[in-house]
Amino acid sequence: MQESLDFNLLKMCADCGACYEICPSSLHLDGYDPRAVIKDILKGEHEKWLTSETIWQCLECHYCLEMCYQHYGFESAMTALRRLAASKGHFPPQLKKGWDLFIKSSRLGDPAMPARKKLGLPAPAKSGVDEFAAMLEAYKESRDQ
Amino acid sequence: MKEFAVFWGCTIPTRFPFLEKSTRTVLDAFSLPYRDVDGFTCCPEKSLINNIDPTLWKLTAARNIAVADDEGVDVVSPCTGCVSNLSTVKKGLKTNPKEAEEVNAVLKKAGREFKGAADLTHLVPFFHDKIGIRKIKDLMKKDFKGMKIAVHYGCHMIRPSHALGADDPISPKKFDNLLAALGASPVKARNKLMCCGQGLDRVNQHDNALHLARIKLRELKSEGADALVVCCPSCFLQFDNNQFLMEKEGEKFGIPIIYFTELLGLAIGFTPEELAMNSHRVSVEPFIKKWEGRDTTEASEAIEEELSDAGVFGL
Repeated sequence: MQESLDFNLLKMCADCGACYEICPSSLHLDGYDPRAVIKDILKGEHEKWLTSETIWQCLECHYCLEMCYQHYGFESAMTALRRLAASKGHFPPQLKKGWDLFIKSSRLGDPAMPARKKLGLPAPAKSGVDEFAAMLEAYKESRDQ
Repeated sequence: MKEFAVFWGCTIPTRFPFLEKSTRTVLDAFSLPYRDVDGFTCCPEKSLINNIDPTLWKLTAARNIAVADDEGVDVVSPCTGCVSNLSTVKKGLKTNPKEAEEVNAVLKKAGREFKGAADLTHLVPFFHDKIGIRKIKDLMKKDFKGMKIAVHYGCHMIRPSHALGADDPISPKKFDNLLAALGASPVKARNKLMCCGQGLDRVNQHDNALHLARIKLRELKSEGADALVVCCPSCFLQFDNNQFLMEKEGEKFGIPIIYFTELLGLAIGFTPEELAMNSHRVSVEPFIKKWEGRDTTEASEAIEEELSDAGVFGL
């Protein structure tokens, strides 16, 4: 966690809470309390959050980043935890489904052809799937080196 | 005006082709120099890809921008998420040459180079800044005087502001200005800037997604809104589809969700049928009926006066 987060900023974050006033999840989802998570990160006890629903409740609306005088915000902590959770295979099934589709097709779905025809829309532009696949290969190579 | 490519993203062509219809209809009506470009992929969706592999997130976005660079076009999108993701990566790479170099080392093997020349703009700030209220007024045939229309910006139209620079991230004005130009009466809502909450549906938390949609829809209902206008397919999905699902369970809101391009299309004289507005899950009919039933002569005189007073002609 120390590698991916600035603990000095997080310490201030744990005592501040200015963004509780505008964070939609803090305001409206029972039990969503980012400071509790941040305090655990600082204590080195973040493991228990990796399998929780909490870390996926940050909506990435970026409102906290805009309100935060450090331009840091809860979101940075939640993103770091989500990445760590995903790397250990803990993620919502729907996320995995989306990821698999993206890797395979470079998109999150194909254009709805019958509806397009009915609406008189032109044929959709070609996707960049082949080039994407080449890029993916090059990326894997560079990562493995 | 420089030629631009429309970046449709995944959600509109896959789930809401009728939103593509109204967008194309409006772009054509304004005779704008746009074209479809081969080679785009998913932007890619931040909450999905960036949470799993941040490097791939950057590479994919950089490649999409490189496609636009190679075509010599700017990019305009009717999706807030696409613009926000592409802009965030563009800003990051433009301000971090070392990272841009690493990205380009990979892109080179796929035959591309990120330069970041293409301007990336969401449709709402695009209409506000590049088309302008005066031009919209020139084409307007009908206004929305007397209609209470709430606006939902969509977080990613305005945030992160350091990358987008599209509007004030905490007190945005452009979408409001456009609706005012169309003559709509604003709806004051405490939750105006609250995230729609659709992201929760993407992480298997459907009840929480409904809960957030409900908060906004309840407020709009109690404020007597005739419609909610959005310009993001994700927000549209949240308020149209999830409202429909809640109504099926007996919770009544009756707030038609109207895409910005549909409202603009109606204003410049297209019919709801021509804009394929019958494809929504929550019927737009109550809105259309009330709108068509107004006394329009009085409305247009009043709006001229109000617009002059508001100084929007000077924008």
